[in-house]
Amino acid sequence: MKVYDGTQSTDDDQGTEPERIKVGIAEYKTTTDDAVLTTSGLGSCIGVGIYDDVSGAAGLVHVMLPTAEDIDDGNRAKFADTGVEALVEALEDAGASRASMRAKMAGGSDMLDFSESGSSIGARNAKQVRATLEEFDIPLVGEDVGGDHGRSLKLDAGTGDLVVKSANTESTTL
Amino acid sequence: MNVDIQSLGTFNQLAHEGAQQATQSMAQMTGIDASVDVTKITLVDREDVGEALVGQDFVGVQFDFEGVLEGDTVLAFDTDSADTMVDALIPGGSDDEAMARSGVEEVGNIMMSGFIDGWADYLEAAIEHSPPTYIEKSGREVLPETRHPDDHEQVFVFKSEIEWVGESVNFYIYMLPEYEAFAEVMTEHADTEGDAIPIDKLHTFNEMTTSGTQKAADNVEMMTGIPTEAEVSQISFAPITDVPKQIGTDTYVGTVVEFTGVPSGYLLVLFDEVSAINVAEAMMPIEMDGDELTDQHESAIEELGNIMTSGFVDGWANVLQTSVDHSPPRLVHDMGRSIMDPLAAQVGQHQEHAFIIDSRMKTDDIEFEAEIHALPNEQELRRALEDLDVERADETDADVEQIFE
Repeated sequence: MKVYDGTQSTDDDQGTEPERIKVGIAEYKTTTDDAVLTTSGLGSCIGVGIYDDVSGAAGLVHVMLPTAEDIDDGNRAKFADTGVEALVEALEDAGASRASMRAKMAGGSDMLDFSESGSSIGARNAKQVRATLEEFDIPLVGEDVGGDHGRSLKLDAGTGDLVVKSANTESTTL
Repeated sequence: MNVDIQSLGTFNQLAHEGAQQATQSMAQMTGIDASVDVTKITLVDREDVGEALVGQDFVGVQFDFEGVLEGDTVLAFDTDSADTMVDALIPGGSDDEAMARSGVEEVGNIMMSGFIDGWADYLEAAIEHSPPTYIEKSGREVLPETRHPDDHEQVFVFKSEIEWVGESVNFYIYMLPEYEAFAEVMTEHADTEGDAIPIDKLHTFNEMTTSGTQKAADNVEMMTGIPTEAEVSQISFAPITDVPKQIGTDTYVGTVVEFTGVPSGYLLVLFDEVSAINVAEAMMPIEMDGDELTDQHESAIEELGNIMTSGFVDGWANVLQTSVDHSPPRLVHDMGRSIMDPLAAQVGQHQEHAFIIDSRMKTDDIEFEAEIHALPNEQELRRALEDLDVERADETDADVEQIFE
């Protein structure tokens, strides 16, 4: 069982599995413990994991659409541009430094893209994540994007490993 | 009576915040980390409320409320999560029946007071609630009994699903306002000049969906020889980011089409893997070896999905008296949420909330269940409803058979 303030574990947890933190659609979460951040059901959505080995802070955001310019409903984590920005800020608040942050991303599938012209939402999401990371000078050190299948992710905050799992294939680690 | 999209969104948000407040009260009392996963408002046949509850045992509290809103509400924990919660409150408490019961009552009371107070604050009016009644029941029986047992009525239901972090158990808050009082409150909050939807027509829309689903089920029967019945039809309203959560994390097989016309949107026909294999084999002339899902199964599903889609869409077009075309079906075989995700994103480029139409069909002969989900463009759905004249809606009500022949 978890203690609600999320900063410490009860006795039950000692020596067992690390804490799991679930990240929903259009949400981001950060941790400074060696927790595992998870998110599931990424289709054209993208999960972006950012970690900082120096401070031990890590975070994961699950974005749905490329940019907040089109429809702004005040939820920054819904969009690739503002979602990455919000996550970077939250990590800085948790003591991480932008200079030592590294990013990985997965998702952005082209599955069920019915648009006849232009690129898919998945591809546009990926493009926007890259652009925003570049603005912040955060290197993208691993990615698994595109294709026509869904993905679920696990970010190990301790190591920065991003495990990508699909319904019909073996999981891979970025 | 009209209700605008904005106020549906507001009411949904209100129920969501109420559930969050209730969950936080519980977290503070017990130290258990839990979060509200989904809140949605659904218009559904009273008899079909609580489908998610079937097959589990629950304890919880129930009470009724009256004032500007009238109705019943229930907080239901499955028995395992109730034990965990009571033990967190009073270590070892779950072994003592009386203590377990009073623990559930206490937490339930505090949670639900927060939930109702939130509504009263927003509506700036009093809502009184009765003392909580402890309940211990299984499946749908955990829900309050209908106040109008003889009517075949459609009701609005607010359902919040609360997830317990790190555990596989969930609990639920259901709020069932009396239709009339709730419709009145919604109407008062509606901006009738703007994007209002006539709520009575939403009923008709549900009936249309039922008929479309029955037509799709007839097509299944025609192709497989298995008698298939349409089950539940409902229309829900939720923030776009909650749309993918309407489908589980299990793997599904099925087809997706984009439909065009008024309304346009996406239509999904989904089978769980076992159902997919069973129904596909019923269509095949030869016995299959093994129980894996093969390419042959998938192509049978594609064909079936196509004919079910046509049946469903024809049903809609008949009532709306418009033409609804659809793209060729795309076969999908993936985690349910990943299938819905790109569709929600596409619709979400233009709207913050979405209507989701769900229906289900089932057969007693073999293990088989199919789900149909439609995600229409919100503005176009509104236009389609506006064009649906009430007289015709009445006709539909009276003689659905004729229209869907």
